[in-house]
Amino acid sequence: MTTAVEPIASPPAQPPIEARERMFHARGLARIYGEGEAAVTALAGVDFEMFAGELIVLLGASGSGKSTLLNQLGGLDSPTRGILHYRGWDLGTADEAGLTQFRRNAVGFVFQAYNLIPSLTARENVALIAEISRDPMSPEEALHLVGLGERMDHFPAQLSGGEQQRVAIARAIAKRPEVLLCDEPTGALDVRTGITVLEAIEHINRELGTLAVIITHNAIIADMAGRVFTLSDGRLVGVRENTSRATVRSLAW
Amino acid sequence: MSLLDRKLLRDLRALKSQALAVALVMACGLAMMVTTRSLILSLSTTRDNYYERHRFAEVFARLKRAPNSVRDELVKIPGVATVQTGIAIQVTLDVPGLMEPAVGMINSLPERGAPVLNIPYLRAGRLPQSQSRTTRGELAVSEAFAEPHGLKPGAKLSAVLNGRKQEFLISGVALSPEFVFEAPPGAALPDNKTYGVFWAPYKELATAFQLYGAFNNVALTLAPGASEGEVIAAVDRLLAPYGGRGAYGRTNHPSHRRVDDEIRVLQGLSVAFPLVFLSVAAFMVNSVMSRQITLQREQIAMLKACGFSNRQVGAHYFKFSLAIVVGGVVFGAAGGVFLGGKLVEMYHLFFRFPQLDFMLDTRVLVAATAVSSLAAFGGVAGAVRRAVNLPPAEAMRPEAPASFRPALLENFRAARWFSASFRMALRNIQRRPVRSGLTCLALALATGILIVPNTFRDGIAYVLDFQWDVVQRQTVTLSLVEPQQARAIADFRHLPGVVLAEPFRYVPVELRAGPIMRRLMLQGLPERGTLSRVIDARPAQFTLPARGVVISAKLAEVLRVKPGDEVIARVLEGEEREISVPIVGLAEDFAGVAAYMQLDALNRLMREGDRITGAHLSVAAGQWEEFLRAVKNTPRAAGCMIKASMRDGFRKTTAQSIGLLQKMYMMFAVIVAFGIIYNSARISLSERARELATLRVLGFTRGEVGAVLVGELVLLTVVALPVGLVIGSGFARGILTAVNTETVRLPLVLTAANYAFAVAVVAVASALSALFAARKLADIDLVSALKALD
Repeated sequence: MTTAVEPIASPPAQPPIEARERMFHARGLARIYGEGEAAVTALAGVDFEMFAGELIVLLGASGSGKSTLLNQLGGLDSPTRGILHYRGWDLGTADEAGLTQFRRNAVGFVFQAYNLIPSLTARENVALIAEISRDPMSPEEALHLVGLGERMDHFPAQLSGGEQQRVAIARAIAKRPEVLLCDEPTGALDVRTGITVLEAIEHINRELGTLAVIITHNAIIADMAGRVFTLSDGRLVGVRENTSRATVRSLAW
Repeated sequence: MSLLDRKLLRDLRALKSQALAVALVMACGLAMMVTTRSLILSLSTTRDNYYERHRFAEVFARLKRAPNSVRDELVKIPGVATVQTGIAIQVTLDVPGLMEPAVGMINSLPERGAPVLNIPYLRAGRLPQSQSRTTRGELAVSEAFAEPHGLKPGAKLSAVLNGRKQEFLISGVALSPEFVFEAPPGAALPDNKTYGVFWAPYKELATAFQLYGAFNNVALTLAPGASEGEVIAAVDRLLAPYGGRGAYGRTNHPSHRRVDDEIRVLQGLSVAFPLVFLSVAAFMVNSVMSRQITLQREQIAMLKACGFSNRQVGAHYFKFSLAIVVGGVVFGAAGGVFLGGKLVEMYHLFFRFPQLDFMLDTRVLVAATAVSSLAAFGGVAGAVRRAVNLPPAEAMRPEAPASFRPALLENFRAARWFSASFRMALRNIQRRPVRSGLTCLALALATGILIVPNTFRDGIAYVLDFQWDVVQRQTVTLSLVEPQQARAIADFRHLPGVVLAEPFRYVPVELRAGPIMRRLMLQGLPERGTLSRVIDARPAQFTLPARGVVISAKLAEVLRVKPGDEVIARVLEGEEREISVPIVGLAEDFAGVAAYMQLDALNRLMREGDRITGAHLSVAAGQWEEFLRAVKNTPRAAGCMIKASMRDGFRKTTAQSIGLLQKMYMMFAVIVAFGIIYNSARISLSERARELATLRVLGFTRGEVGAVLVGELVLLTVVALPVGLVIGSGFARGILTAVNTETVRLPLVLTAANYAFAVAVVAVASALSALFAARKLADIDLVSALKALD
């Protein structure tokens, strides 16, 4: 499998976190499903901040609340309690239309199951998003960024899993999002293919300065992150800062 | 209840609006079938019982006058069982409260004993008795005439008997199997305001008309196995010297034929059109169940993995579609009974039976249920077989992603400008050509069935305009008791207010072409009349030539002749003779069948000099009342047909009944159109939930996603609409051909407004369905729709 992503010796030095723009700001963020006896606490009040250009991995077992947190960040769900601000804008009190605009303009999503439109080719899947964006890159450029320049006119059913996931990444970044949210992006892929997908995400994070948040239950992947948030039982039990980020190529699981 | 059945109930509840849509479409087809078949059963059973109990005759004959001794010769004709002779005579009536003169057909009751044939049924009062016992003459009146005039036993009525005005007492209100449908002779439409049937004792009637010891009317029944044709021929031979006007059987009896025609209309409506609905319903069951089975792939695998047999799993899904069918049958039967009841009520306007009750045709209900179940099962069988044949392990895995390719249309240059959502729609359609084709066909059928009801309405409007503004432009038609010298027209011209008077002569004839014959009034009219005109289909007025006849297009169809052919005309009045006349043209008319000839030519044929039997008159509105008063005092005028009341009668009876059918069909058509479109939208929503949720997450607004969802439906609708208009025109033509009888016909009128209406309903149904679907779209849980497939 070929890729346009250049292997690099080590991640470039980044300015100290505090000097960068604060993207997300959460205080006592909680999400409780149901009421009374049947209430299930998915997020039990977490505090954090996320900055522009960071690559953050959310680590945790199934049911730890990492997906709930990602849904909050992506404007797919609203908090039950606490505050969540995006660049000073209150996501918690935003209405449906506001959240749609937020997803449309600021967020790129990558799903474990790719979620490509089967009736559109790779190029068209990306172009579809470009159609509704304010300042999109061309589908060709986006697909080149993820190393899929040659297979643009193939339909999803004609692409391998890794290729489909890279189309999904191209689709997510074509709008030049400020935030890239990836939910178990390698969950359905083998190691080799998973590496190419992670490389694509890292490449975007580095080249475009996009804040990338990756959910995984695979602790090894956490080594590529700048910071690692560990969740357990709906609580943020640890934030680890990697002094040196591992290259994606060096990861193995 | 087994747990599988409990699952069935819950699945049904989850699918309730779609199941309801399918059940309703099925119910429409069934209701239509149940209504029409039950009405056929009600009408034919009631009629047969009535005929039998009240001994409706089988052969009928009118003549000028024969001595009562001829009756014995009639009895001797081989094949004749029972004979009843009597007098039937037309008189002018003066009905209290009615401005215009009315016409009564008075039938005699036997001098001794009770009637043996065509026995009247007494609704109120008693049959009239001879004058010797009462001070005043008595009459029994038909219910059809009594009702609009409020005539009850004890009421009084004046009649002009042979030029002498006499007052009668109404002794009773009666019905007769001979007059189930009561219309003036030769008229296809009833006019209960100015035409009524009466019964009087023989002696009074005979005395008044100098017919004592004689008869002018014969009714008889046939012995088992007798040939009707031979008996009719023998009766004709026997009565010819007595001015016989030709005997005829039940098939030519005006009342019997009208009831028969109504049954034929119902038969025309009872099978083909409901089957269209039922096949649409079968397709819908198929699409709903296929989708349901696809969604429950994993459940099926689990059930099989746990040890349920293929038969149990298959039966489970068959039960599912059976539940929908049962819903359809329940709604359909209830709707059929309700609408049948309404239509029976309406039949009281036309048909007078002692009692006409709605009878549910249970056999058709059972048959229709069986057909619907089979159709539904047939629709489900394929999907069920695919599901149960899947090895459990394979079924547990999600279905492989659908493979697509560019749509054929994208080979065109313009395809570069197609939007992504348009491409999605095109490719989705092309990927499943059969399903898309069937959806398109269902949409076309929905459009098509919307055309039919309004063609009824437009046809009625056309007939009202055509028959009474283009063809019959007279204000009133006066008929004479007997043919008279042509100068009698001068008397009519001198009546107050008469602006124009055109003579006519009606002669009863039998027209024959090969083995087929019809009896009717040959109408002799001026060469190119101003009031009563003969019009062809274009429509243009005929100039009647010196030789040959113009006949109704329907009559040409019945006789299987065309212009240029010759028909044999046997004159049934006066000196009997047969001539061969060429058909010179086909006239457009919508009630009864007719034949027209130039008046002079007819008179030459009759060799009785210049004679007329009446005149069409145009009367000035200002002198209308004066005119009517004068007519009431004109003894020679036997009948007075007022165009306005004929038109009114048509509007109140035929138009009303067809109006009811129109409303009924319209309701069905709208339900079906909505059902089909809503169901398609729901299925497409279910199939693409994941795709649409993805788009929502990626930042598409609800409206944009809605557009992607309905894009495919809109494309299919755009293709289906013109096809539907063509199909609908075909339906309308087919149904009108099936229901058009010799008594009443509707022309096929297809208007732009009708097409526009069908298109608008489908468009509104699409828009509303899209709206429903869009609301459902809001319910899609974005997070769970995105959960990993495994």
